[in-house]
Amino acid sequence: MPQRMAEKPAAGVFFDSDFATIDCVLAMGVLHGLQGKNDCRVAVVTVSRPNLAVAAFADSVERYYRGPAGNFAQVPPIGMATDGEPGETSPAFVEPFRKKKPDGTPVYRNQVKSVIDTADPDTMIRNYLDAQYKQNAFFVLAGPATNLAAVLEFPGVAQKIREKVRFLVLAGGAFPAGAPEAHIRADIPAARKVLAEWPTPIVAVGNEVSAAIEFPGASIDKEFAAVTPDNPIADAYRAYRPMPYDTPSGALAAALYAARPKEGYFKISGPGTITVGDNGGTSFTASESGRHQYLVCDPEQKSRIVQAYVELASAKPVIRRFRPVDADAQVDKPATPVKN
Amino acid sequence: MKPKAPAFVTGAALPRRAILRGMGAAIGLPFLDAMAPAFAASSVPGKPPVRMAFFYVPNGVIMDAWNPDYVGPFQALPRALKALEPYKQDVLQIGNLTHNSGRALLDGAGDHGRCCGSYLTGVQVKKSVAEIKASVSVDQIVANEVGKQTRFPSLELGMDDARQAGDCDSGYSCAYTNNMSWRSETQPLPPTLDPRALFERMFGTGRPMTAEQRAQQAKDRRSILDFVTEGTHKLESGLGPSDRRKLDEYLSSIREVERQLELAEKDNSRIDPHMDKPYGIPADFSEHFRLMSGMIAIAFQADLTRVVTFLVTREGSLRPYRELGIADGHHPLTHHRNQAELMEKVRKINEYHVQQFAGFVEKMKSTKEGDRSLLDNCMIVYGAGLSDGNAHLHEDLPTLIVGRGGNTIKTGRRILARRETPMCNLFLSMMDRMGVHMDRFGDSTGKLQGLDLG
Repeated sequence: MPQRMAEKPAAGVFFDSDFATIDCVLAMGVLHGLQGKNDCRVAVVTVSRPNLAVAAFADSVERYYRGPAGNFAQVPPIGMATDGEPGETSPAFVEPFRKKKPDGTPVYRNQVKSVIDTADPDTMIRNYLDAQYKQNAFFVLAGPATNLAAVLEFPGVAQKIREKVRFLVLAGGAFPAGAPEAHIRADIPAARKVLAEWPTPIVAVGNEVSAAIEFPGASIDKEFAAVTPDNPIADAYRAYRPMPYDTPSGALAAALYAARPKEGYFKISGPGTITVGDNGGTSFTASESGRHQYLVCDPEQKSRIVQAYVELASAKPVIRRFRPVDADAQVDKPATPVKN
Repeated sequence: MKPKAPAFVTGAALPRRAILRGMGAAIGLPFLDAMAPAFAASSVPGKPPVRMAFFYVPNGVIMDAWNPDYVGPFQALPRALKALEPYKQDVLQIGNLTHNSGRALLDGAGDHGRCCGSYLTGVQVKKSVAEIKASVSVDQIVANEVGKQTRFPSLELGMDDARQAGDCDSGYSCAYTNNMSWRSETQPLPPTLDPRALFERMFGTGRPMTAEQRAQQAKDRRSILDFVTEGTHKLESGLGPSDRRKLDEYLSSIREVERQLELAEKDNSRIDPHMDKPYGIPADFSEHFRLMSGMIAIAFQADLTRVVTFLVTREGSLRPYRELGIADGHHPLTHHRNQAELMEKVRKINEYHVQQFAGFVEKMKSTKEGDRSLLDNCMIVYGAGLSDGNAHLHEDLPTLIVGRGGNTIKTGRRILARRETPMCNLFLSMMDRMGVHMDRFGDSTGKLQGLDLG
């Protein structure tokens, strides 16, 4: 019999990304792997560019991990920005949907056919924040800060973030100083706004960490394939570039650190303030009153981190029966194979 | 006693609020051509005012019978809406509207209490039996603005339990499940259930009849119209043929309601002289609905009010529908656990409710007002605070708007908002059409796009 959880559930994750690089896709797998171990609970996924293919793919990943919708187990909509440029649509978001079962039906389900099937990201974040306990949520940003800057303008939301959210981990920039990085450069005003006004501590994962620990592409046909032949993240990885290839892991590092900040995977700077230059370059100035920190790669932890990435991202889905917006109604169910 | 003359001014346009007075009677008039220049009370001079009403049905609906598989102009209507087929060009179906404040949001069980309490208020109500707290509902915000122009700022009607105290859902007060309208954070407006009481309120002088007076009137078999005969004749003499016909139809509709009331009251005493219902409440659901909704139509026609809420049955209603061969309570049935037999019974109840509503729509559409129908100048929301009652979902709430809101709403189609779009966005847009302009209401994020003509 499913058992109702008596205690506060694992922290809710708000994952916002442009999914412009494959590590953002892998980060969804890591977060769901962490959810399977009850280290977090994926509350909301929002896409920061108006690209339906990306939103559809994110929806399929959510459905893969959440299992069939049923009583008190709805799949929350994907939030998607409607402003800005749709950007490139990688084959990673298209090829997985071409995969068919023997009966000819698609292996991966998705219900995003038009913008109607997505939600306004600000509304999604606002609504789902309401369902989180105090200081029991965190944000992971793996893309331009466009959505998060917009949500700060939403009436009452900054207060909700202050009340409910522990911290924001953003994958972007270069530290303590460095050349412009794509996520920051894509929306410099938004990055500046979030760094200045976000009401919780912010931890940044710079390019140097992303590049220092690459995700091993060989795991796709090894560890991932050993769990299941049908994993949308693995299929997206295969379609993203000609295999085999390894990939930088900024979004993965942000996800892993956010859910397990005390596990010692990374070193962390002292407090300070990150500023963004006109060209999108970032610099960090240490100060006791600063609310920003950045992760530092610890070479001794590298193999442990890579192992965690692979193990978590390839993990078999653990269907967690909670109403997405009713975190207190969480009911667990033993791991079962997901039928798509 | 000689009845007073009708309170209208001669030699100029007939005042909009002219009434026929008689002993114990005060009957407002419908919009007549003779009043056209006098329709200054409307937000648009010279045009009839826009009215709004909210018909609420409980326990959600079976969505596979509610939502068609297309978006855009109506083709065949889905099963639950079939009764509206003759009027579908006057219906706008809106999908994906959400009441986030109806969700648990850490308050645990009690979706029925929350969904009704939040439906028109747009806020998460306080989970309590004793210390109720919601917010001023959208109808009351509008009533506060436009209600001064009518005899009643608003009317709150219902057909079910009107208990205001006690625990009606997992720690939520009955005040949440049994009311839609809230005058303040702590003051719900209980619905009037008794059609006789409503009738007397609408056409009486404000002083309730005593039991003896009511009995005497029944004994004399006198209609309320008998008390205003002289005034009616005087009024008619100054009207053109078209207005005379309208007046005759209007007074006939009042007489029809009166006749239904008398029949229902006779039936009540015949069926069960000791029945546990206030005087005048029909035992028959359909008859009760027809009476209440008929009086809504008259109230709008005579501009007695521009704002009505109608809680068809209380949220979480346990009512069985024996007239449909359904002996199970409505609420338990909606927790059907996907059992086909139970789901079918809920579908029948959903259809039945819409059938009753269609009768009201027919009445509104057949009533002329200026060069349009009365319905054209109204926005009648028919909806529920849950979509899937089995899973207690608060998104994609079943929502219809019937009527064109004074030719500002494009009907005859189904539109979808983006998922999670707040229901309060619709309310903001409706308030606009009532001449009440607000930037925010409840958890709104802006006005609902796509309602307008063009």
